[in-house]
Amino acid sequence: MKSIPKLIRRFFGVLMFSLFLMVFLNLALLIIFSYKQIGNGSAWTCADTVSFSLTAGSDHQYILSQDGMDALRQKNAWAILIDNQDMKVVWHSENLPSDIPLQYDLGWISLLTRGYLNDYPTATSEHTDGLIVLGFPKKSYWKLMWNTFDYQMIAHMPQTILIFLFLNLLLLLIIYLTVTFRLLRSVRPIVDGVERLPGDEEVYVKEKGLFSGIAQAINKTAEKLKHQEYELKKQEQARANWISGVSHDIRTPLSMVMGYAGQLETSPFLSPEDQKKAAVIRQQSMRMKNLINDLNLASKLEYNMQPLNLIPINLTGLIRQTIVDFLNMDLDGKYPIELLTDDSISVCMVTGDKSLLKRAVSNLIINAQVHNPKGCRIFICINLLKDSCSVSVEDDGEGISDEQLERLVKTPHYMMCGNSTSDQRHGLGLMIVRQIAEVHGGSLDLMHSTHGGFCAVIYLPLISVE
Amino acid sequence: MSFDYIKEKKILLVDDEPDILEMLISILKEDGYSKIETAATAAEAFRLCRSHQPQIAVLDVMLPDEDGFSLFGRIREFSDLPVLFLTARGEDDDKFKGLGLGADDYMVKPFLPLELTLRISAILRRCYKNEAAYVTLDACSIDFTRAEIIKGQDIIALTAKEHELLSVLSRNAGRIVTIDMLCEALWGDNPFGYENSLMAHIRRIREKIEANPSRPVSLVTVKGLGYRLITKEVPR
Repeated sequence: MKSIPKLIRRFFGVLMFSLFLMVFLNLALLIIFSYKQIGNGSAWTCADTVSFSLTAGSDHQYILSQDGMDALRQKNAWAILIDNQDMKVVWHSENLPSDIPLQYDLGWISLLTRGYLNDYPTATSEHTDGLIVLGFPKKSYWKLMWNTFDYQMIAHMPQTILIFLFLNLLLLLIIYLTVTFRLLRSVRPIVDGVERLPGDEEVYVKEKGLFSGIAQAINKTAEKLKHQEYELKKQEQARANWISGVSHDIRTPLSMVMGYAGQLETSPFLSPEDQKKAAVIRQQSMRMKNLINDLNLASKLEYNMQPLNLIPINLTGLIRQTIVDFLNMDLDGKYPIELLTDDSISVCMVTGDKSLLKRAVSNLIINAQVHNPKGCRIFICINLLKDSCSVSVEDDGEGISDEQLERLVKTPHYMMCGNSTSDQRHGLGLMIVRQIAEVHGGSLDLMHSTHGGFCAVIYLPLISVE
Repeated sequence: MSFDYIKEKKILLVDDEPDILEMLISILKEDGYSKIETAATAAEAFRLCRSHQPQIAVLDVMLPDEDGFSLFGRIREFSDLPVLFLTARGEDDDKFKGLGLGADDYMVKPFLPLELTLRISAILRRCYKNEAAYVTLDACSIDFTRAEIIKGQDIIALTAKEHELLSVLSRNAGRIVTIDMLCEALWGDNPFGYENSLMAHIRRIREKIEANPSRPVSLVTVKGLGYRLITKEVPR
């Protein structure tokens, strides 16, 4: 639920944006509407027009010009002129309703100016002889009777509006946060559950509340995933166990083949030819032994079943020992091995599994020996790089072609890919070296050697200096 | 150094496969061992250990009546005899378990006869070394019991470190011993940075044992890897 602040921020942003948009739109609407309302002032202008176009003729007769009559007709209004001196109606339009009195006093005049005359909304205008009063049809205008406002209130209107807006926003925020947190509280276990699904731990979400359906689905998914993982593991285990079982069962009979062949090879009672045959049997059974070991280890590394015993190791020492083991067993000296490392690299600390690393280097040496049956010189070199080190095993033997090298680097071993097509069945040896390098966080590079043969380089991360 | 004396040692072979037992006997007999006992079960092996007191045991791990590791534990209760596990179980865990229990070596089937006999004789030499405390080199001989070099008429004393160094090398006579192994033997488990000291010791030993210390023939350097002691076989 790390995304909650982000969620709130984003939602709040959207909220603010929509609020401002709303205020803006309302203002625009208000302006348009007010503009239309300008017409409402027409009652008073109409009164002014009538006042202006009413002129006194000779013998105290008043004449309304065409303009005034048009204005009255347009509004369907009536008009009277109240005389200044005696408060009597001295002129009226022809459509004057009968319930309009013809005599007024001051109180009445003040009332009708502010409001209505017998429910007719009125408008007034000054005339040289008195007061022009226009009466409009009932319910055509609504008049504000007490149109006085506190001055302070009008003066502080902008601040007041801002405070109002702010209070509204605050209220909105509180409502939003309350609702959101309540929602999040019910969503949180669900999100937690989904987030934990890819991990290794067990996932169970309580199936209640608003989202019980989703919780149920998550629980089912978790169960299914677990089951599948278990099945997969079982299958891999079975495969690795099968390989290890078979290789175990082959070991005893192979011991006998190898043991007796080894004895016959040196038996003084056999002719040199027969001794050679025994030597072939011995060599081939050695190959079978290596194959079994490789197959077993490769399957375990592939299915992550090889327990890693990681400890700090002095790689230089380990490589020296590996080389010496080979040299001490290489009785006829067909494969001299040279360690070309600078004396300053007498300590090269890596974290690793001793037997696996030894196996990797041994595999590379064996590889050189197997592919150069006539013998070859083997060169091993340790180099310190920035935060890693490299171990190269090279030989001056036959080497391989560019095409072979490319295939070796690019095509996966048949154990790794599904199809069992024939032409990629190179040995397991290099694949194991690659796997071992990878479980140590390193890698393997294959190339031509500057010494003329084949070159394999293992890269391993160094222990950071504390 | 002559190691004939080790061929006199009593060997106990324990394996439930009679064919393997038969082959082991033939390999060991060919190598010169004569006193060989066999057992097909843990119970029998235990009884033989009690009654015949063999001087080395080659144990299979999977026996019909008992785990080889636990048999080893029971034998250890009353005897320190060296043990080599020879098993079809190649798992590293088993290897570490076997060696961790205090076994002297661990071999996985299938194996070469030569490797087996080499390992057995190495264990025997290591465990019964006091009986062969006399080694002959090109220019002198070493008396390990008295820590002395006998060079013509001279008798030169060895320091403790030199003695230790020479005995490690002579136990592996003819084979390369790595710098790291020598440092570990001399200075224990964390031998980093002792290489210069080791070279100083080697130089002093050469002055004592070589006819011409600047051109050594007995204590030979294998560049970058370690050293090798070349001994002369002398009939005792």
